[in-house]
Amino acid sequence: MSLIEIRGVTKQFHKGAEVITPLDSADLDIERGEFVSLMGASGTGKSTLLNLIAGIDRATAGSIVVAGIDITRLSRTKLAPWRAANIGYVFQTHNLIPVLTAYENIELPLLLLPMRRSERRRRVEIALQAVDLVDRANHYPRQLSGGQEQRVGIARAIVADPTIVVADEPTGDLDPQTSQQILDLIRRLNAELGTTLLMVTHDQDAAAIAGRQLRLEEGKLVEVCRTMPSAVKSEAV
Amino acid sequence: MFNFLPYLLKTLWRHRTRTLLTVAGSAVAVFVYCFVVSVQHGLEQLTRQDDRVLVVFQANKFCPSTSHLPQDYALAISRIEGVTNVVPIQVFTNNCRASLDVVVFYGTEADKVQSARDFELVTGSWDVFQSQQDAAIIGQTLATRRNKEVGDKFSVGDVTVTVAGIFTSDKRAEEDYVYCHLDFLQRTRGLNIVGTVTQHEVFISESADPQQIADAIDARYQGGPVATDTRTKGVFQASSLTDLVQLVELSRYLGYACLALMAVLLSTTTLMSVEDRHQEHAVLQAIGVSMHRVFRLILCETVLLSVMGGVIGITVATLVLYTSGISVGAEAVSIAFVPSADMIITGSIASLVIGLLSGLIPAQHAARADIVSALRQG
Repeated sequence: MSLIEIRGVTKQFHKGAEVITPLDSADLDIERGEFVSLMGASGTGKSTLLNLIAGIDRATAGSIVVAGIDITRLSRTKLAPWRAANIGYVFQTHNLIPVLTAYENIELPLLLLPMRRSERRRRVEIALQAVDLVDRANHYPRQLSGGQEQRVGIARAIVADPTIVVADEPTGDLDPQTSQQILDLIRRLNAELGTTLLMVTHDQDAAAIAGRQLRLEEGKLVEVCRTMPSAVKSEAV
Repeated sequence: MFNFLPYLLKTLWRHRTRTLLTVAGSAVAVFVYCFVVSVQHGLEQLTRQDDRVLVVFQANKFCPSTSHLPQDYALAISRIEGVTNVVPIQVFTNNCRASLDVVVFYGTEADKVQSARDFELVTGSWDVFQSQQDAAIIGQTLATRRNKEVGDKFSVGDVTVTVAGIFTSDKRAEEDYVYCHLDFLQRTRGLNIVGTVTQHEVFISESADPQQIADAIDARYQGGPVATDTRTKGVFQASSLTDLVQLVELSRYLGYACLALMAVLLSTTTLMSVEDRHQEHAVLQAIGVSMHRVFRLILCETVLLSVMGGVIGITVATLVLYTSGISVGAEAVSIAFVPSADMIITGSIASLVIGLLSGLIPAQHAARADIVSALRQG
């Protein structure tokens, strides 16, 4: 059984009288430790699929089973703790909380889990080390560069050791050099920590670092390229 | 919830100008509310007191300057069963109309002041008061307001007394009065009204029925020489202040209006703040913060602002009321603005409840926002 099983997922929006269907009976399986990139033209529904998997949006039809739980059947109230335990979300615009330091931003998801303060500290320190920002722990977002902010965002997404990390155009707001650093970091997280990753991007080069590349065309998912998942590959070695 | 306290406090600190203005607005509203409650309390203290004390006034007269009763009524009244003491009083005031600076002279037989009142001299001497014809004891509030000390002359109009003592009283309104010798007040101002007084205060025993004794006194003098109107002291003082009582009652609504304004202010500023942080709340929810927790966070924010304003308002009001000794009076009766435990408790509860109520709409607004739409706004 796959970690994520998407079956016949349809999403429709109403724009006046017009009905838009970015996802039309889409099917997808993602294995544990897999790194999947999702491409497509603007407005094709890449982020919509990501949001559906992250449990912050609702499918019009179909089922999304993550680690054995059909999240389309969960209420909004039940989805919140499910997200806290299972989803790490990397936003395009970083979306750090401006009043909190880098350390506090990373600690935020842990505050939602039953965890001792010492354990929280240990995990935040590990996450800070993973994104190489130990010396910026007490800096506020306004005191960080765009790349550093995104690294804090990634640390926040992985700190609770979620079932899957979803990244919505994580390099969309960054210059090419910083984008490359972020992509390297994401690839490393998948390869070294075995983090299951789903990354939405419109950048062909960014998509190429994933083990599997998908394209969303007319509401359907099309597999473009597939290699052995990095984490799986590491285990095999 | 306490895990998110740093986030809450830092959010308030980050928008400190807005926080400061909102807290200041709340503080002003609670300050006004406390003032209103203090006047209500002063009025209650005045009208509820002394149901064992009757005031005999001239019938159909309302101003102390127009009431003239024979002084010897005291002797006859004291013989009525149930009466324990009668104190004839000549009243002189600088202003019969409503004023914030009423000075009232109560001329009584000097030896009866101690037995008829619960005064405690903080400075001065009872002996000097009793032995010196132009001596007077004055309330501490009045002494502070007029900057008077023992030995000072105190003049109002044609009446000049020497301060022989300064007293405190459990009844704060009493501290706005001057007590001097009855015959001194009867002879001063170029008048010679010896033998007449403004009113008699009649003290009755615990078992006596006040209404029965009042009726007996009025019945006795119904045919003259001067008809009387006898009521308990509380009722008498309330009726003396009829106009003011209505104003004070009206001020209750002013207090409520202030609290309503505070609620609107808090609700508006929090709603604006929530609108500004729409995306931030969406991010919180995306990482797993529940809508109920977002709701509680916003509610805590308004409660914090409201309670901070409340604490400042109550503290400032208490200090101002204690130090200023403000009172309002008419017809020689004074209502003291009295800070009280009641004021502090109701002010605190009002702050808390308003914080909760005014946070409901912004909190619901933040909690129910669509996460995806809010994230796209960024």
